[in-house]
Amino acid sequence: MLFSLRELVQWLGFATFEIFLHLLALLAFSVLLVLKVDNADFGLTWWKVFVPFFAADGLSTYFTTIVSVRLFQDGEKRLAVLRLFWILTILSLKFVFEMLLCQKLVEQTRELWYGLIMSPVFILLQLLMIRACRVN
Amino acid sequence: MRMSLAQRVLLTWLFTLLFLIMLVLKLDEKAPWNWFLIFIPVWIFDTILLVMLIVKMAGRCKSGYDPRNGSQNIKKKVWYLVAMLLKLAFCLTLCAKLEQFAVVKLAYVFIPLWALLMGGMIELGYNIFYVRRD
Repeated sequence: MLFSLRELVQWLGFATFEIFLHLLALLAFSVLLVLKVDNADFGLTWWKVFVPFFAADGLSTYFTTIVSVRLFQDGEKRLAVLRLFWILTILSLKFVFEMLLCQKLVEQTRELWYGLIMSPVFILLQLLMIRACRVN
Repeated sequence: MRMSLAQRVLLTWLFTLLFLIMLVLKLDEKAPWNWFLIFIPVWIFDTILLVMLIVKMAGRCKSGYDPRNGSQNIKKKVWYLVAMLLKLAFCLTLCAKLEQFAVVKLAYVFIPLWALLMGGMIELGYNIFYVRRD
């Protein structure tokens, strides 16, 4: 729409399959969220609702590690290290956000305010903006 | 005239940032605004995208346009239009639910989002498995 798939892959640094994986995780998460909110007697905890996101992060890390090892073996050492570093940064920021949000939903503590929970997302946005300038 | 990647990224970044800031203010109870107001950046961004899409589709009606090279393109544009409308429907019903204008189950609110995600995944799956085999 606004971006072609090629531009998205270039900008985000994820492979098409990884984007597919994260979309699938979002779909599964939304289904579990609806089950949790609409059917309170379903017995789902917030940690279980967030499982698709954690699984997608884990699978994405595994996939990236394999791709980086293959790139390293093919002699593309700089590209392999840069790709691994970038994806791990993005995934760890996403993971921290998910953990904090889940913690907040479970405990409902006042100390964990939403500005703090969202801070990894704000950092992620700045990083994506910087990367867009480089890719452009 | 096509915007450069940096311009498109800047547009997306700006509206996402504005929306997130307003969302945080609302969730932390610092801003007692209506949910429809919190979603203003989303409405503006969606309107810009819709206008851009409609202008591009209307370009086919110009005299001298050769429809032979655009049959695949128009299908894609129609899908994008449907996707935008689904996203808009999801945001509107979500706001109505959060403002408690209507007592509806969350499942009904999420139906447009599920349709959008499935459409997006079919398109991505086609790009991953079908195009690569060709």
